[in-house]
Amino acid sequence: MKCGLEIHVQLETDSKLFCTCHTNYQEASPNTNICFVCLNQPGAKPYPPNQKAMEGAIKIALMLGCKISDDVTYFMRKHYNYPDLSSGYQRTSIPIGFEGDLNGIRIREVHIEEDPGQYKPDMGIVDFNRSGIPLIEIVTEPDINSPEEARIFLRELIRVLEYSGNARGEGTMRADVNISLEGGKRVEIKNINSIKGAYKALKFEMVRQKNLIKRGVTIKQETRAFLESQMITVSMRLKEEAEDYRYIPDPDLPPMMAQEDQIQIIKEKMPEPPHIKTQRFVEQYGIEKEHAKVITSELELADAFEEVAKKVNPAFAALWMRDELKRVIYYNKMTFAQSGITSSQITELLKMIENKEITTKAAQRIIEKMPNNPSTPKQIAEELGLIGVIEDEGIIKAVKQVIDDNPKAVDDYKNGKKESLNYLVGQVMRLTRGKAEPAKTVELLKQYI
Amino acid sequence: MNIMNKLESIKNHDLTALENINNYIKIIDKNNSKINAFLDINEEEAIKTAENIDQKIKNGEQTGDLAGLVIAIKSNINVEDFKISAASKTLETYNGSFDATVIQRIKKEDGIIVGMTNMDEFAAGSSTETSYFGQTENPAAPGRIPGGSSGGSAAAIAAKMCDLSLGSDTGGSIRNPASHCGVIGFKPTYGLVSRQGLLDLAMSFDQIGPFANDTSGIALMMDAIAGFDERECTTIEWDVPQFKDINENSQNLLKGIKVGIVEQFMEVSDDHIVNIIEGSIDKMVEMGAELVELSFDHIDLCLPTYYLINYVEFFSATRKYDGRKYGYKIEDVCGEEVLRRIHMGSYISQKEYSGKYYKKALQARSLIRNEMKKLLRDVDVIAGPTVPKLPHKLGKSLDTMDMYAYDVLTVIANLAGIPAASMPSGEVKGIPVGLQIQAKPLEDEKIIHLMKVMESMD
Ligand SMILES: [Zn+2]
Repeated sequence: MKCGLEIHVQLETDSKLFCTCHTNYQEASPNTNICFVCLNQPGAKPYPPNQKAMEGAIKIALMLGCKISDDVTYFMRKHYNYPDLSSGYQRTSIPIGFEGDLNGIRIREVHIEEDPGQYKPDMGIVDFNRSGIPLIEIVTEPDINSPEEARIFLRELIRVLEYSGNARGEGTMRADVNISLEGGKRVEIKNINSIKGAYKALKFEMVRQKNLIKRGVTIKQETRAFLESQMITVSMRLKEEAEDYRYIPDPDLPPMMAQEDQIQIIKEKMPEPPHIKTQRFVEQYGIEKEHAKVITSELELADAFEEVAKKVNPAFAALWMRDELKRVIYYNKMTFAQSGITSSQITELLKMIENKEITTKAAQRIIEKMPNNPSTPKQIAEELGLIGVIEDEGIIKAVKQVIDDNPKAVDDYKNGKKESLNYLVGQVMRLTRGKAEPAKTVELLKQYI
Repeated sequence: MNIMNKLESIKNHDLTALENINNYIKIIDKNNSKINAFLDINEEEAIKTAENIDQKIKNGEQTGDLAGLVIAIKSNINVEDFKISAASKTLETYNGSFDATVIQRIKKEDGIIVGMTNMDEFAAGSSTETSYFGQTENPAAPGRIPGGSSGGSAAAIAAKMCDLSLGSDTGGSIRNPASHCGVIGFKPTYGLVSRQGLLDLAMSFDQIGPFANDTSGIALMMDAIAGFDERECTTIEWDVPQFKDINENSQNLLKGIKVGIVEQFMEVSDDHIVNIIEGSIDKMVEMGAELVELSFDHIDLCLPTYYLINYVEFFSATRKYDGRKYGYKIEDVCGEEVLRRIHMGSYISQKEYSGKYYKKALQARSLIRNEMKKLLRDVDVIAGPTVPKLPHKLGKSLDTMDMYAYDVLTVIANLAGIPAASMPSGEVKGIPVGLQIQAKPLEDEKIIHLMKVMESMD
């Protein structure tokens, strides 16, 4: 199968694309973030396009490896009739970037659009708070070969958008996917609002089409809608009924020229995209790809890693940051940035382990106390009395005592019950108040049993 | 007393703003039922504004550059709390909820807005006969159309119901009624005056401009409304000259001024109109102007190009009148001409025809623009008739092509984005004939200068 995606995500701006209304539409009561421009009242003309939105779109296009059009950019009017569209047309720019690439999936184009309002049939109202919020639309070539690939691509794309700092997340995503199976025509699916939705819609559609083909039915070109509640797609219209949007250049918005120096400034300020950073981490630091991926999941985390790796063995740092640090911030339901943990705190902690000032186990307890804590790891360790690694004799003593005290567990282990060893390790830790090196403890337990 | 003198006497309190508005209210009350220039009048508010201005003057406070002048506004320009109907049933109940940029500027200069004027429905016409609220009488040629689409604004000036008025000009909608009503109408360079708040006819042509009985009024109004608007993207960032000064300091001479006469503009016009225009041109020569014969090869292209683009942009602009927000769906209640334009626009802009019609029209437009640029390169202004024929009698029905034929000489300035004005040139059997003066983009002042000199000869 071949599949292409058209993904819309809101750009992160304070004000709308063509007026100064606020963009916090979800928090505001219906129809309070509105003015004559975003209501498109008779005679209202758009203000000049929001520069932050335009720059954000250029930045995202660049991060997706797109070429930036050095010709004029302008907005088109896409006409259609729907209650949420106060002007009867949607303003949509011609491509700002084109011919990009994200992990081998070609990006056909990136452009900017205005969001319509929200028709709420259940309440019988249209809420125009959302009307005029800038959207970025990313269109791929049909390079995706399975629902799984689509899911991976979308996750990676959202990561790029998050890195850019100019887009809102998956929560504002709306996607259209097109899918064609060998021997069938292209089917477009609209109304997809999440990565999971895209995956489910493709999965359903693939099975549906395969079954039809098996029965000798030819797949016609059509547009279908995804029903999220039921995870199925239903036909909207066939090709013959395709809507004609009667595109014309918007006469109210004169063509704009992207300035070479403006693009240069964006390029200099733009963060390295996550998929490229991942690759670089693997090559530069010799860490595993899986670790690199987790560490680059958040720009701030990736930056912290690079700081830490200057002073600590990168492989060791990667392992710790991927396992322990991620565990702690995940447990606290926060991002790394929100945790307030600094790279120097991490460096100090890892140095303490390397210098055998504390045990791995102790470090795990220290890191749990680190979110939003101004104390240094050393201070935390002192508070908790975790300083010091028990020398081998101490451990041996504890090991011997644990073996004596737990004959059943020892027997179980001898009889092949591997889990019993964990129990015994835990007992040694208890006796040593966590100061024994776990690896060493395991080694000694095995030796003395 | 010209408008400039009137402004001074108001500022000197020789004439109060209240007296000024009251005089006009008297005339409006007496004559509007017959002429139908105004669709919506707010006398009370106007009197209140006048009293405030008088008070300010009495207190020795600074007043604006339109202080106490009475102004009428075309019904397609947003003014808060007035009926902005565009003379259509579609917007019968629509009240302005914000002030267009030009209105903000007029209010800032202490102009008194007295009411909203009649027009062709959505400005789609050249006679003001298509108004849902009835036709407007031509005060200068009773029994005939006032021209359009800004017929009410031109008639209000001709009937002395106000000092100044605003219209909008998409293909001649200011100059055409100015010509027929024997007043001055001025269409600025595209982008010189903000369209923020102007209801769309064809966005790439529309331009707001003033009417007055003398050039000083045009200059005063231009000073108030012209200039960059950060809230309207097609306005030009430009140091606008003081039109008032040009008007004041114009030597009564046209020495060294080159006036282009385009052969084809004369050819398409009625003979008696050409005679009158030639009289005006002779006067220019008397005053020292140098004539330059020019030839414009694309005159046959102008109307089709103009109307194709007009249809498509108008179709797009009217999509918001879908019946959900403004009472009626436009197609359900509009007149024949508006409906024709919507249908044509919808047809032409279809994907399969867009290359054949709309894109061709845009190409033709560039061609016309370049040709006009070329003609204007060697002259200061081009002078000729505004309208090729005299206004028809009210009640006589014209077919579409005859109706469109009124516009052949005015659409050129809109296609090219250049400034153009119409000023009275003379009369044919009591019917006014307008002289059209066109100039290069952003040389609006040359038109003001020429009009001032011509005016001083009468
Ligand atoms: Zn707004």
